[in-house]
Amino acid sequence: MSTSSSSPSSDEELIFNPNPIPKPIDDELTLASLTLTESNGNGSVGESDRYGGAGVVLEAEREGEREGPSSPSSSGYAGERGSSSEGTSNSRIGDEDDDGIQEVINDHDGFVDGVGDSSPSASWVPGKRHVDEDDASISWRKRKKHFFILSHSGKPIYSRYGDEHKLAGFSATLQAIISFVENGKDRIKLVRAGKHQVVFLIKGPIYLVCISCTEEPYESLRGQLELLYGQMILILTKSINRCFEKNPKFDMTPLLGGTDVVFSSLIHSFNWNPATFLHAYTCLPLAYATRQAAGAVLQDVADSGVLFALLMCKCKVVSLVGAQKASLHPDDMLLLSNFVMSSESFRTSESFSPICLPRYNPTAFLYAYVHYFDADTYLMLLTTSSDAFYHLKDCRVCFILIQRNNNLAFDVTNKGSSCVATVVRYHSCFQPLDPANTTVQLWIQWLVATVVLLRSNVLSEVQRSMLEGGMRVEDLPVDPLPRSSMPHRLSQQRILTQSPEIFSESIVGIGGPTGLWHFIYRSIYLDQYVSSDFSPPISSPQQQKRLYRAYQKLYCSMHDKGIGPHKTQFRRDENYVLLCWVTQDFELYAAFDPLADKAVAIKTCNRVCQWVKDVENEIFLQGASPFSW
Amino acid sequence: MASRRRMLLKVIILGDSGVGKTSLMNQYVNRKFSNQYKATIGADFLTKEVQFEDRLFTLQIWDTAGQERFQSLGVAFYRGADCCVLVYDVNVMKSFDNLNNWREEFLIQASPSDPENFPFVVLGNKTDVDGGNSRVVSEKKAKAWCASKGNIPYFETSAKEGFNVEAAFECIAKNALKNEPQEEDYLPDTIDVGGGQQQRSSGCEC
Ligand SMILES: Nc1nc2c(ncn2[C@@H]2O[C@H](COP(=O)(O)OP(=O)(O)O)[C@@H](O)[C@H]2O)c(=O)[nH]1
Ligand SMILES: [Mg+2]
Repeated sequence: MSTSSSSPSSDEELIFNPNPIPKPIDDELTLASLTLTESNGNGSVGESDRYGGAGVVLEAEREGEREGPSSPSSSGYAGERGSSSEGTSNSRIGDEDDDGIQEVINDHDGFVDGVGDSSPSASWVPGKRHVDEDDASISWRKRKKHFFILSHSGKPIYSRYGDEHKLAGFSATLQAIISFVENGKDRIKLVRAGKHQVVFLIKGPIYLVCISCTEEPYESLRGQLELLYGQMILILTKSINRCFEKNPKFDMTPLLGGTDVVFSSLIHSFNWNPATFLHAYTCLPLAYATRQAAGAVLQDVADSGVLFALLMCKCKVVSLVGAQKASLHPDDMLLLSNFVMSSESFRTSESFSPICLPRYNPTAFLYAYVHYFDADTYLMLLTTSSDAFYHLKDCRVCFILIQRNNNLAFDVTNKGSSCVATVVRYHSCFQPLDPANTTVQLWIQWLVATVVLLRSNVLSEVQRSMLEGGMRVEDLPVDPLPRSSMPHRLSQQRILTQSPEIFSESIVGIGGPTGLWHFIYRSIYLDQYVSSDFSPPISSPQQQKRLYRAYQKLYCSMHDKGIGPHKTQFRRDENYVLLCWVTQDFELYAAFDPLADKAVAIKTCNRVCQWVKDVENEIFLQGASPFSW
Repeated sequence: MASRRRMLLKVIILGDSGVGKTSLMNQYVNRKFSNQYKATIGADFLTKEVQFEDRLFTLQIWDTAGQERFQSLGVAFYRGADCCVLVYDVNVMKSFDNLNNWREEFLIQASPSDPENFPFVVLGNKTDVDGGNSRVVSEKKAKAWCASKGNIPYFETSAKEGFNVEAAFECIAKNALKNEPQEEDYLPDTIDVGGGQQQRSSGCEC
């Protein structure tokens, strides 16, 4: 074996996360002003009525652009924005005569929340945008959906749009409102202001706020804030609470340095990833045997002391294995894959990062090892051992060596760990590692798994599945075939589509037969869902987002504790016919042509369920440890 | 590495109604002054970025209403303040006498970890009125009080003329720098699966 060519190039430098990336400093002097005022001695901010029996609804309105003598409180501060060294901003909450927050240009164009606001793969660019904006900017005010995180002292932690420091005044206003209600021994949940909803989530010393005019239900927005909080916990654990207990002045932004992209990509996923409201995960469709093979590799690793081993393709699971009794909550999987996919450093190098799984244990860190096989497919191993952290560098070098040396890779797959141990011991680049050390053994197992996966057909099957896509409504079988007839129904169906009978039926409406446009099937027992691929007429990202929002609404109404539990729901509006069907085993959400016949739609739903059952071995991960939460 | 991280300072301005808190803030942030009196109701918030000794600060200024009925903003309002500015009117004895109440009110509500050394700044405002002829609180008297309360920095200001306002606020940033906590490692627990118990790390020393 050659050792001379194996030293790692510098661009493969090991990166530990969170990796603080210094923000560009902008030396413009800026002023943001916010006024929390009261009208007629009446305290509009304190004006409250009950909401749903639990929290408080504040009716607060924020005025638009108001600078001038008519508004004494603002006029005093009105500086000239854009003058050489100073910008001003001015806004008030709770003023008397005003006409709501602001006009929104258009529901589906214009300023949409998230620029481009499209499907994950399309034009969405990661990272924070509109950093120059603050609450005085018209563009900022027109954003349809804002998210803020602030501390209980009113210090900004994160804002979806605009620079946090420039929004310090706005953040203070939010805190003042929250505190005001808190002082009355109450808790603020929601403020309605015209078209806008301001949703609050209080998590100890952390306050989360969403301001939205997207007409999403309160429960959805709250769920999104919960996920945002979970994402923060994933990065820092709940130990931050202790920091605030010790020191209320505590500023946690340095700890979150460089994680803007993680939050913004999560917020973006609220638009396209149904996992964000279904609390279930989805699998990449794969032949049963292929998924089994991947599972076997992961199982070997898990047996050597890993808590969880996951092979993922984007946000879809290829396979996953948990150590005894340990189970992974779908929300944790969502947050974890979002963290990994949005952090560039994982992609460019073998990485090892502390992370916390909020649903598993919100107070403690685990350590995640991430290895990307290609642009979309990655292996994640979660361990409790921080020791492994320190051995990573050596093992990584070892891995590169194995990757570059075919003979060695062959040896590894055939002789396993003893061979790697040899490499580890003899290669001059390494500190001598003790192969008897359990951590070293763990690493060796991981290396072996990686190499085995590389040499198996699993990764090429994953690629193929990505290209082929998943279930398409056009492929819905007319007459359910006997279960055993086809081992690879998903791909076989594709050929069937070309047969004339099916074509003639699907001509009835656009999309699938009988006007079926799309469906999501969620298996309650498996905590997994499958969503059909989008096809015309739901083709643009805007339409997709709108459909998800409609599903979201449906989901909320089906899970409304006050009214529920519903069994079925049929809804027709100008956009779709929506049908939802909930049983003990599954939930089905289906969208049809708005002219679809109800009886036919119900029949079609039955066919969808049968179809899902027929192919369940390919679309679901079977036999994973039960997710009992 | 770029220069050190930006700091956000929460600054609370307290003092009797009409002493010029809002005007001071307005002069500092906008370099503007208005003779019109308009009571602050509840609270105003302004931010200003300042550069001081190569550090970039954002001052998040909480201008409060002096009226009794707004004191209900209470604990939550004062929580996590980095600095408290006490303002009185050099022409109104009562406003000076009340400084003690304001200071105590703040210490009770904010309950800072080290009240003895919490950074206060005292401003004696409206020195311009009547060319100083209507003044009732002497600089000496004010300074003596400040000295007795742990050497609180003292500034005589005029929001109207913009006199000493900049210097007063610069002092706030300076104070905050002095009080900046040491940054230490953030060390939450890790899960110890084998033992079943969590191993407590030393925790976060921030
Ligand atoms: N002559 C003079 N008048 C001032 C000065 N500062 C404030 N004022 C005036 O005093 C009044 C009350 O000021 P304001 O800032 O609203 O006081 P606050 O209640 O403490 O916020 C206003 O009419 C101001 O114009 C100052 O330095 N000199
Ligand atoms: Mg005032």
